[in-house]
Amino acid sequence: MNKVKNSASKMMQPLLAIVVGLIVGAIAMVLAGESVLNTYHEMWKGAFGNFYFFTSTLERSIPIILAGLGVAFAFRAGFFNLGAEGQLVLGAVTTAIVVVYLPFTGVIAIIIAIFSGMVIAGLWSFFAGWMEQRFQINLLISTLLLNYIAVLFAGYLVSEPFRDTSSAGGVPQSVMINDAVKLPALFEGTNLHMGFIFAVVATIILAFIIKRTTFGYEVRMLGQNRFFAQYGGINRKKVMFTSMLISGMLAGLGGGVEVLGMHYRFIEGALTTPQFAWTGLMAALLANSNPIGTAVMAIFLAALDTGSLGVERNTDVPNAISDIIQAVLIIFISARFTFTFLKLKKKEGKKHGKSI
Amino acid sequence: MLLELTGITKKYGDFFANKKIDFSLEENEIHAIVGENGAGKTTLMRMLYGMETPTEGSISVRGIKHKINNPNEAIKLGIGMVHQHFMLFPSFTIAENIVFHHEPKKGILYNRKKAEEEVAILAKKYGMNIDPSQLISDAPVGVQQRVEILKVLYQGADIIILDEPTAVLTPLEVKDLLISLRNLSKQGKSIILITHKLNEVMQVTDRVTVLRDGQVTGSLKTKETDTGHLSKLMVGRELAKKEKTEVKVGASILSIEHLNIIENSSKKKLLEDINFQVKAGEIVGIAGVSGNGQSELIAAITGLLQVNEGSIHLADIDITNLSVRQIREAGLAHIPEDRYLWGSAKTASVEDNLMMTEYRKKAFQKNGILHTNVIRKFAKETINKFSIKTTSQEESAQNLSGGNLQKLIAAREIQQNTPFLLAAEPTRGVDIGAMEFIHEQLLMKRNNGDGVLLISSELSEILSIADRVLVMFEGKIVGEFTQADVSDEKISLLMAGGKHEQG
Ligand SMILES: Nc1ncnc2c1ncn2[C@@H]1O[C@H](COP(=O)(O)OP(=O)(O)OP(=O)(O)O)[C@@H](O)[C@H]1O
Ligand SMILES: [Mg+2]
Repeated sequence: MNKVKNSASKMMQPLLAIVVGLIVGAIAMVLAGESVLNTYHEMWKGAFGNFYFFTSTLERSIPIILAGLGVAFAFRAGFFNLGAEGQLVLGAVTTAIVVVYLPFTGVIAIIIAIFSGMVIAGLWSFFAGWMEQRFQINLLISTLLLNYIAVLFAGYLVSEPFRDTSSAGGVPQSVMINDAVKLPALFEGTNLHMGFIFAVVATIILAFIIKRTTFGYEVRMLGQNRFFAQYGGINRKKVMFTSMLISGMLAGLGGGVEVLGMHYRFIEGALTTPQFAWTGLMAALLANSNPIGTAVMAIFLAALDTGSLGVERNTDVPNAISDIIQAVLIIFISARFTFTFLKLKKKEGKKHGKSI
Repeated sequence: MLLELTGITKKYGDFFANKKIDFSLEENEIHAIVGENGAGKTTLMRMLYGMETPTEGSISVRGIKHKINNPNEAIKLGIGMVHQHFMLFPSFTIAENIVFHHEPKKGILYNRKKAEEEVAILAKKYGMNIDPSQLISDAPVGVQQRVEILKVLYQGADIIILDEPTAVLTPLEVKDLLISLRNLSKQGKSIILITHKLNEVMQVTDRVTVLRDGQVTGSLKTKETDTGHLSKLMVGRELAKKEKTEVKVGASILSIEHLNIIENSSKKKLLEDINFQVKAGEIVGIAGVSGNGQSELIAAITGLLQVNEGSIHLADIDITNLSVRQIREAGLAHIPEDRYLWGSAKTASVEDNLMMTEYRKKAFQKNGILHTNVIRKFAKETINKFSIKTTSQEESAQNLSGGNLQKLIAAREIQQNTPFLLAAEPTRGVDIGAMEFIHEQLLMKRNNGDGVLLISSELSEILSIADRVLVMFEGKIVGEFTQADVSDEKISLLMAGGKHEQG
C-alpha cells in the first residue's frame, strides 16, 4: 500500500507541472483572444486526432525518448550528462556514413551501421567522463561544450568530404541511403518506423537494469549517496564510465534510427533544430529519471509539438503556444533543482557538523 | 503553564507516530523526554516547532491556543529547536551562523562587527565559551553544539528543545552542556531535553515524560523516580545484566604495524606509529576523545584513506591500500561513525540500504540479476530480528528515526558473519534496549571466534564489553589495558593527554 502511495506522490510532481503548464497556456490563449477549449481541442486533434497524426507524434518521440533515456541513466548514477545533443548527432552522422560505405546491404548492414553510431556517441560521452576522472573537469561543462564540437564537426563532414553533391546548393547533407537499409515503417503510409520498437525495448531494458540488476543497484546507490557507495565498495570510476558510455550510446541510437527510418540521410540541423536532445533532457527531469516515466513524458512533449502544429494550421494561435507550456515545465524543473541544490548545500554542512 | 500539548496525534498513513499525547512545560523547567527509538519523541517536537502538523490535538503557549504552521511561527512564539543532527554552514563563522536570518545591518550591509559583539555578549550572558570569528568547520563538535543553542537564544527563544544533544559529545563536553542547561533554566529559560542517557536525566531535569510506541507511559518528577523505573517504563521490561563468558583468544585477525598517515598539505602526522592486533575471540576497544585520530584509523583500515607507511593485515591478507571491495572480501564488516554520510542513502529504501553489503553475494544474484524474492525475504527477516521500526521495507531510510537507522546499519554489518568487525560508535543514538541488543550481538560475534574492534567515545560502552582497551591521544596509542586492570580514572587521564604510570 505504501508503495502505491509512494509512487503516486512521485507522479504528482510532473502531473502538477503539466496541469499548471496547460493552465498558463490557457491564459495565453485568452490573452490572445482565442477560445481555450477550441485551441486545446485542435491541439489534441493535431497530436492524436487521427491515426496519421498519432503515428507522427510517436515518430517524433523516438529520438526524444532515446536521448531522454540516456540523460536519465547517467543521472541515476549521479552524473549530469548535458551532451545528448552532440551524441545524438554523432550517432546519426556515423550511421549515415557507415551505411553508405558498407560493401553490402540488408539487416546486417543496418545493425553494423547503427551499432557504429552508438559506439562513437558512447565514446564521446565516455570521453567527458574520462576527463572528469583524470583532470577533474566538471561534467556539466564538458558535456555541454562537447556538443558544439560534435555538431559542428558533423556539419563539416556533410558539407565537405561526405557531401551529397548530386543536389547542388541547399542544406548540406549526406547521400541518400539504399532502400535495403531503410528501417521499415510500422504501418503502411505512416512515418512511424522500427525505431519506435527500439525505443520501447530500450525503455524496458533500462527499467529492468536499474531495478533488477546488481549494476543498476550500484548506479542507484552511487546516485543517491556517493559516500555510501564508496563505503560499500562500489567502484565509482567503473560505474561512471559504464553509465556515461551507455548514456551516450542511447542518444547515438536515437540519431541512428532517425537517419535510417526517417530522413534516410544525415541532414545538417535536422536533429538539432527540433531540439530533440533538450526535450529528452526535459522528459528525463520531469520523470525523475524513471525510464518508463521518461518515455511517457517524451511522448507527451512530442504531442505538444505536433499538436501545436495542428493549432497553427487550424486557428490563429501561433505554435509558440507549445513553447509557453514548455517554459512553465522548465520553471518547475528548475525550481525543483534549486530546491535539491539547497538541500545538498545543507548536507555538505552536515558533513562537517557530525550528524548523530 | 508555559506550554501545554493536549491530545496530540500524528499519523503517517495508518501508522500512529504519536497517539493522544499530553505534555506540559513550566517556566524555568527542564523536562526530559525519553523513550525507545521510534517512540515518537522527535515527531512530537517537530510538531511543536512547526515542521509537521498534528493530525489531531492542540498546542497552547502561555494559555493561548496556537496553530504553528512553520518554524518561523514557532520562533515568534519563543520556541527554538536544536535538531538531532546539526544544521550549520561550515564555511561561515560562528557569529554568522548565529545571526543568520536576523543579521544586524549597517544600512543594507551586514554589520560584522556588531554581529560579533552581540554574539560575544550573548555567549557571556549564558556562560558559553566560544570565539565568534572562528569558522564552524574549525570548531569541535562540542562548540558546534553551543553554537546551535546560541542561535536559538539569539532568535529570542524562551522554550528550547534539544533533540539528543549529548549523543555526539565527549564526556567532558556533556558535563559542560549540562551545566549550561542549568544556567539557562536559572536565567528564565525552559528546556525540553530528549536523550537516551538516563543518568543525564537524573542529573539535570525536573520532570520526565516517557514515551513508548507513540504514547505516554509515564510523566514523573525526576526526584521521585530512578533509572531502573524509567527503563522499565521505556522498554516495558527489566533489562538483563550482561553475562560475559570466557573465550579462548586465538590467532591474530587484524594486525597493524607501524601505521603512519600524514596529511597532504600540512604534513602533519594524523596517525603516528600505530601498532596493535585484534585476535580471534576478543573485543578490542579504542577509547579516546573524538578527533584524536580515530576517524583516520577507521578510514585506513576500511580502505577509505590512503596509508603512507606501515601495513595492515586482515586474516593473513595484506590489505594495505587495497580497494574497499577487496578489503570487504577479505573479511571486513564496518559500522561507520557517521550513519548519514557513510552508512546509508537517505532517499533509498530500507531494503536497498540493507543490501549494500549483500548484493554481490551468490544468494542474492545470479549473473548480475538480483533475486528480488530472496532479497525481500531477507530484508523482512532482518527487520524482525533486529526489531527495526519501519512502516515497510519500501520506506525510504530518511523516514526512520535516528536510532532505527543505526540499528539497520548495525544489523547489516553484524549479519555478514565476517571474521572481523569494525564497530565505530555502534550504539550512537540508540535506546537502552537496542543498545543491550547490539552489545549482545557484538559479544556473540566474539564468542564465535571473530575479532571485533570497537571504537567509541562512550567510555561506559568500552568498559562494559571490551576485553582489552587501547587509548588514543593525538594520533598515537598512549596506553593499553586488559579488562582486569582497566578503570574509568586511568583511561580518562590518558584520554586527556596525561601520562600513563606503569604499575
Ligand atoms: N515522514 C515520515 N513518514 C513515515 N514514518 C515516519 C516519518 N517520520 C517518522 N516516522 C516514523 O515515526 C516513528 C517515530 O519517529 P521519531 O523520529 O519521532 O522517533 P524518535 O522517538 O525520535 O526515535 P529516535 O530515538 O530513534 O530518534 C518512527 O517509527 C518513524 O519511522
Ligand atoms: Mg529522534
